[in-house]
Amino acid sequence: MNAIVALCHFCELHGPRTLFCTEVLHSPLPQGASSGDISGQNEQAEEEEGGIQMSSRIRSHSPAEGASADSSSPGPKKSDMCEGCRSLAGGHPGYVSHDKETSIKYVSHQHPNHPQLFSIVRQACVRSLSCEVCPGREGPIFFGDEQHGFVFSHTFFIKDSLARGFQRWYSIITIMMDRIYLINSWPFLLGKIRGIIDELQGKALKVFEAEQFGCPQRAQRMNTAFTPFLHQRNGNAARSLTSLTNDENLWACLHTSFAWLLKACGSRLTEKLLEGAPTEDTLVQMEKLADLKEESEGWDGSEEEEKPSSQPDVVEGQELSKSSPETSLMPDCNSWNVAHRRLSVFRSLRHMRQVLGASAFRMLAWHVLMGNQVIWKAQDMDLVQSAFDVLRTMLPIGCVRIIPYSDQYEEAYRCNFLGLSPHVQIPPHILSSEFAVLVEVRAATRSSLYPTLFDDEQSLNKYEFVVTSGSPVAADRVGPTILNKIEAALTNQNLSVDVVDQCLVCLKEEWMNKVKVLFKFTKVDSRPKEDTQKLLSILGAAEEDNVKLLKFWMTGLSKTYKSHLMSTVRSPTSSESRN
Amino acid sequence: MAPTLLQKLFNKRGGGAAAPHGRAPGEGPAFSWSSSEFDLNEIRLIVYQDCERRGRQVLFDSKAVRKIDEAVVQKMAEEASVKTSARNCQASNGNNISSHSPSISCMQNIKEQIPKYQYTRPASDVNMLGEMMFGSVAMSYKGSTLKIHYIRSPPQLMMSKVFSARVGSFSGSSNNLQDSFEYINQDSSLGKLSSNQNGLGTCRNGSNLAHSTPVDMPSRGQNEDRDSGIARSASLSSLLVTPFPSPSSSSSSSSSYQRRWLRSQTTSLENGIIPRWSTEEMFSMADESCSSNPAMVRRKKIAISIIFSLPEIEDAQRNFQDFFFSHFPLFESHMNKLKYAIEKAMISCRKIAESSQRVQVYISRVMDALGEFRVTIWNLYSVPRIAEPVWLNMMSSTLEKNQLCQRFLKEFTFLIEQINKNQFFAALLTAVLTYHLAWVPTVMPVDHPPIKAFSEKRTSQSVNMLAKSHPYNPLWAQLGDLYGAIGSPVRLTRTVIVGKRKELVQRLLYVLTYFIRCSELQENQLMWSEKAGEGEQVLNGSKITTALEKGEVEESDYVVVTVKNEPALVPPILPPKNDGSKNNSTVEWLHEPESTQAAPTSSKEKRETIGKDSQTSETSVDCLTSNFCKGAADGRKRTVTDTGIISYHTKESSKLEDVMDVKKNKNHNERKVEKQFSSKSSALPCPERSGHRSSYLEKVTFQIGSSASPESDLEAHRREMEENLNALIKNPEVIYCASSSTNLTVDASQNQEDNCEAAFIPIGKHNVCYAQIPPCEEKESILNQHMESKGTEVNLINSISSELLLPTDNIETVKSTNMKENRTLCSGNLENCSSDCVEADSAVKQDSPNVRPKDVPYGDSGRKTSFRVEGDIPRNESSDSALGASDEEGDCCIPDEVHHDSISKRLEEFTEVELPLPRSNTISSQCVKNFGRSLLGGYCHTYIPDLVLHGINNDEKLKQYLLADLFHAIHHPVLDEPIAEAVCIIADTDKWNVQVATSQRKMMDSVKLGKDVLVSSQVSSLLQSILQLYKLNVPADFCIMHLEDRLQEMYLKSKMLSEYLRGHTRVHVKELGIVLGIESNDLPLLAAIASTHSPYVAQILL
Repeated sequence: MNAIVALCHFCELHGPRTLFCTEVLHSPLPQGASSGDISGQNEQAEEEEGGIQMSSRIRSHSPAEGASADSSSPGPKKSDMCEGCRSLAGGHPGYVSHDKETSIKYVSHQHPNHPQLFSIVRQACVRSLSCEVCPGREGPIFFGDEQHGFVFSHTFFIKDSLARGFQRWYSIITIMMDRIYLINSWPFLLGKIRGIIDELQGKALKVFEAEQFGCPQRAQRMNTAFTPFLHQRNGNAARSLTSLTNDENLWACLHTSFAWLLKACGSRLTEKLLEGAPTEDTLVQMEKLADLKEESEGWDGSEEEEKPSSQPDVVEGQELSKSSPETSLMPDCNSWNVAHRRLSVFRSLRHMRQVLGASAFRMLAWHVLMGNQVIWKAQDMDLVQSAFDVLRTMLPIGCVRIIPYSDQYEEAYRCNFLGLSPHVQIPPHILSSEFAVLVEVRAATRSSLYPTLFDDEQSLNKYEFVVTSGSPVAADRVGPTILNKIEAALTNQNLSVDVVDQCLVCLKEEWMNKVKVLFKFTKVDSRPKEDTQKLLSILGAAEEDNVKLLKFWMTGLSKTYKSHLMSTVRSPTSSESRN
Repeated sequence: MAPTLLQKLFNKRGGGAAAPHGRAPGEGPAFSWSSSEFDLNEIRLIVYQDCERRGRQVLFDSKAVRKIDEAVVQKMAEEASVKTSARNCQASNGNNISSHSPSISCMQNIKEQIPKYQYTRPASDVNMLGEMMFGSVAMSYKGSTLKIHYIRSPPQLMMSKVFSARVGSFSGSSNNLQDSFEYINQDSSLGKLSSNQNGLGTCRNGSNLAHSTPVDMPSRGQNEDRDSGIARSASLSSLLVTPFPSPSSSSSSSSSYQRRWLRSQTTSLENGIIPRWSTEEMFSMADESCSSNPAMVRRKKIAISIIFSLPEIEDAQRNFQDFFFSHFPLFESHMNKLKYAIEKAMISCRKIAESSQRVQVYISRVMDALGEFRVTIWNLYSVPRIAEPVWLNMMSSTLEKNQLCQRFLKEFTFLIEQINKNQFFAALLTAVLTYHLAWVPTVMPVDHPPIKAFSEKRTSQSVNMLAKSHPYNPLWAQLGDLYGAIGSPVRLTRTVIVGKRKELVQRLLYVLTYFIRCSELQENQLMWSEKAGEGEQVLNGSKITTALEKGEVEESDYVVVTVKNEPALVPPILPPKNDGSKNNSTVEWLHEPESTQAAPTSSKEKRETIGKDSQTSETSVDCLTSNFCKGAADGRKRTVTDTGIISYHTKESSKLEDVMDVKKNKNHNERKVEKQFSSKSSALPCPERSGHRSSYLEKVTFQIGSSASPESDLEAHRREMEENLNALIKNPEVIYCASSSTNLTVDASQNQEDNCEAAFIPIGKHNVCYAQIPPCEEKESILNQHMESKGTEVNLINSISSELLLPTDNIETVKSTNMKENRTLCSGNLENCSSDCVEADSAVKQDSPNVRPKDVPYGDSGRKTSFRVEGDIPRNESSDSALGASDEEGDCCIPDEVHHDSISKRLEEFTEVELPLPRSNTISSQCVKNFGRSLLGGYCHTYIPDLVLHGINNDEKLKQYLLADLFHAIHHPVLDEPIAEAVCIIADTDKWNVQVATSQRKMMDSVKLGKDVLVSSQVSSLLQSILQLYKLNVPADFCIMHLEDRLQEMYLKSKMLSEYLRGHTRVHVKELGIVLGIESNDLPLLAAIASTHSPYVAQILL
């Protein structure tokens, strides 16, 4: 809790005094604000900053120590302090408790070291003991304002056989800036503080009764009725709370109790706040990471031959040495950025569209979206890699299987993106297939077609791109809805690359949501065809191309999601009829 | 009266959970209290003025105001009769001012009004209340001060605000009003009261003398620097310049997170106080036309107090308090409204020349406002709530989730299909999604995988962590969520459904509780002492154990209910104070059994048991009975000292407890002795720790059957006991006993284990106490000394006390005490030693499990008692398990050697002494006292401004109050932060339109309350596809998953929009439309969503 708890005393000689004060120190940065490693840094940072902060605060002021504090110190001078006004003995450093789980520190001194807090606490103490009126003098009261903070105060008496009226006046105060929280916590604080007070009073009462037993003050006072009272006071008036309660470890005990109070009050209420489910892309990414981890743990080199004999280590700069189709397409955000530094690469879909030309791009994109095999034949591996990096953004991560560069043709079930060196033979049935598209990158002739567009990009000028497929897309064919939208976004130069990226995220999620419904409908519930047709039209995806797209994208659903749907359908509750 | 109301109020939530079928969904049984059930007059208003020159004056006390009924008005002409009736009325005052009709007829035409109210003498407590409101010493602070007092009898809760008055430039302006009061005062009290200073006139009493020395309340702006020695500007500006360290933006629920993080930072105390927004709230007593007189500002204060009489019944009282404290922001907001009305009343009545008229106007205006306040508060209690808010219930109850989904979807699709005339439902949902924005963080995709299923979204871990490391106020956060105040700029939204068809309105309300979202609150109880054992219930922090005990004498059973509270003082785990001791082999057990105050009725059996055990039944019984008498009185005050400290788990039979109790209590009675002992024990290497367990165990015995109360016997026993104790104190021989009985070994006790368990009555208390392993070598030697020589006592104490880290006067007292007392100390110590200290020390170990200490001469009566602690009495169940427990906690409990070796070094470095916190157990339960459950209203009889959502029959009241409420909402935001705009969504199911009224625009015309809502095509397509899916028999939970997915799409589109707006100052809707299907009618919705994650969007679009 963001509060200060203090024990105050109305000293007969010196008036209201702060005796003991427990503060809360939080780490400067929230824990778990981000992923684990960062929180580790936070911790470190906290350690450093906290340490610096602490020590500087301590050295700058120690108002409790009259001797060491200079005259400008807000703390009372030693001469103004009597036993009754003091808690920790001179030179005592105070107490600290660490809450490791939350990295919160609870620190106790007689006064807060921070000058502003010192005056806040002092102010609250004065108000609690000599300004605000509590009916019956003992009891809870709340007061405060925006400038001086808000205070929950509970005043009480402690028995003292030597004090005037045989009792001394104290208060336990809780100071916060958040008045709503403080007021919300009233019932809680009242209960806990009342408990502390009861125990203190109980201790004191025993001492009191023992003292009365040994030497009844009342009788003595009656006898010495004419002696000036003050005289006696000078001798004994200022008794410490430690002696009044006969508890050597009272301050340690109060520190622990106050710290506990702060901790308990701070965690009294917690929220259950829901956040959205991760996107499919996130899930797939997670799963792949998990697989990869498992793989690297479970497999060693000897089993390498069992893995697809694709080209490992083909791509330079790729971290993954084992580039199975799965692993090589690990989302690597950096590769995108890295691409910027290279010259002969595609930087974005829009860039690619400009390079290839609208119709060639449309054909290529079509095949990509539908899950057909996209084969790039080129000398330049970086170029191929960049092409795949750009193209894959059109697909959900789960639908992307890349073999970035290979010396032989790989079957479509193994990869939908295949990079080949120029001399590799592609089987003729693939070349004539409508389920594959080939992009051949050739050296451009001098009469390059792109004279003006790429002034700054000489590197791409040296290439010529030929996109071919077994069944070229008819120009009048409507195509999947998403393709048209992507094209529209790419065409509109008003939209920045970032907007287009965000666009793709939206479109993909939108269509993945349709995929989810379709999956549920067809694979989980096995609904009849007519229903499926209805469903598709509800989803706005009844057209042939859209259906094809949905079916392909269904392969990209995360295992987590699929298994979840499968398991819920088996649970008896979901099969209940709704009426 | 009031209790019934409050009880019902809180009971109904529990009861509403079992929602009846066949009723309109989501709403609990409709509650209607006749106004007689709640005495609105129990809410009292006092206005006080404190002026330096004139002292304190009551400007208004609702208790002194009487409504004059028609008959009396007739008689007004006859002066005398009026006066008598006035006095007669006074007795029955406070019955019915405005309970039936809050709207006391408006004073439209003042001059024609016959006086309706009579102002009589204020109640006698008004002076005291004034004292509480202003404090005994005046403050020089200018701003407003908030106070809450609790008055014990009669139980009342008083909430006050003290303002500096802004007075007109003409001096003495308040005289007019004052004169008026004096006038009416004289008039009504027929001269008798005219001289009475307790009337409305100045009340001067002794305490007012304190005015001469106002306490200096340095305002931080001016002289704070002088005060603290540090420049505020420095510390503050640094804070302001460096923005708060912002948590990683990767956090998905960033807006929720950010908001909470900021709250914890702005209310932080760590670096001093951060200046927050503050309206220099004053009480204005003059027209705006009058220039204010700054000189007067400091001198005059106005205090407004509202006093709630609490029901006498404890439960009801607690319920009200819970409601009050958890809903305080709302109470405060209404108080501000009331204050505003009082200001206006004061100003306006001044313009009236005639004195009696003036008073009438003033009083009736204030009474009107008070009536409104009372009714509002009453409404806040009594309106029906939605018993099953869909979102909250889905979040909390996992069992019924499927039924919940089905039920919700059924209602949802019904509405989509049936009432989407003119796109009504789509419009309503568009508006709700646009303004109640708290749904957005619940669909923001996270970047980590879900733990559980999909339909169960996961709770935000980052927010959870934040709550731990930087606690903020979850109630406040929840309130903000509900009002949708999470965007930028901050807008506060409420939704009202108007319609004659109750059932339809209720359906709408029910469905909307899915979209108006907030966090669910959990109440956590932190326990440090122990876990709740099996068979123990935890109820309000008290553990309750029940056991059936057989009565031996009477043929009846007793149900023994043990209520156990955790002690409030947490024993510190102190670092050992002597260095260099190696304690590799020994663990000292300090075993302090719980003692119980057995209730008298069950005593006989106990006596028997103890008698058998100790073979000296008389003494035991004496002790025991004495305990009975003292128990209640001493229970809480007892301090039992025990020395060492290690965590242990133990189960003890109640038998043991009783025996121990005897000992404790005896020890306890010897206060002198114990005092000595505690001094001594603190001097031991393992420092004193207060044992509390005994104190907090209260045994309540419900007797089934009957038995004569042995009270008279007890009294006799007690006296006898005391005599014995006195004798004991005088007997130095006891020391011998002390030394011999300390020689208990763990072995011995372990050997008893089997016996113990056999004898164990499973009341089952588990104790965990936290401690350290004390260095034992020294202890051993002490004990050895102890045994060998009685004469070493004083020296021992002296030598040990000199070792203390922090010597205090207390020690000196010990030193000076005489030898004899030290001996008796030892004897008093006996019980503690024998029962508490089980030495695992080989040096003291004894082989025989049946070692018995010598019988001890016990006083001069010749009785003997043997403290057979080691014999039949069960010890800790297993020291192994206790050891195990200590291992578990070793990291936090046992300080490593290095640590305490370096204590002295650390001291020099001025580093705080580290004290570990005890380990905590958290007991969580769902919290019902929260806004999520109380501000989602049902179909109400009238318009209520506080509710986030509710339905009403017609918009009459709404039209009357809405605009004022909206303005009030931005001027006195309940959220404790600036609000840019207050909004109310009004859906009229009779006219089929949805409008949004806002504080920023004036009402368009008399017919329309606000602007019509543009239906977002995103929303309508969403509705259609959900309906179609439902019709295709897609399971309900999947439909809801899809719904969430679609909402997530909206969020993603808003991301795109915000990205788009980064580079554009204008939106080309067409561009967006082609690409993403965003249409112009979607823009308000998407922009509002975007404002939760990208604040700049607002600057462009809104």
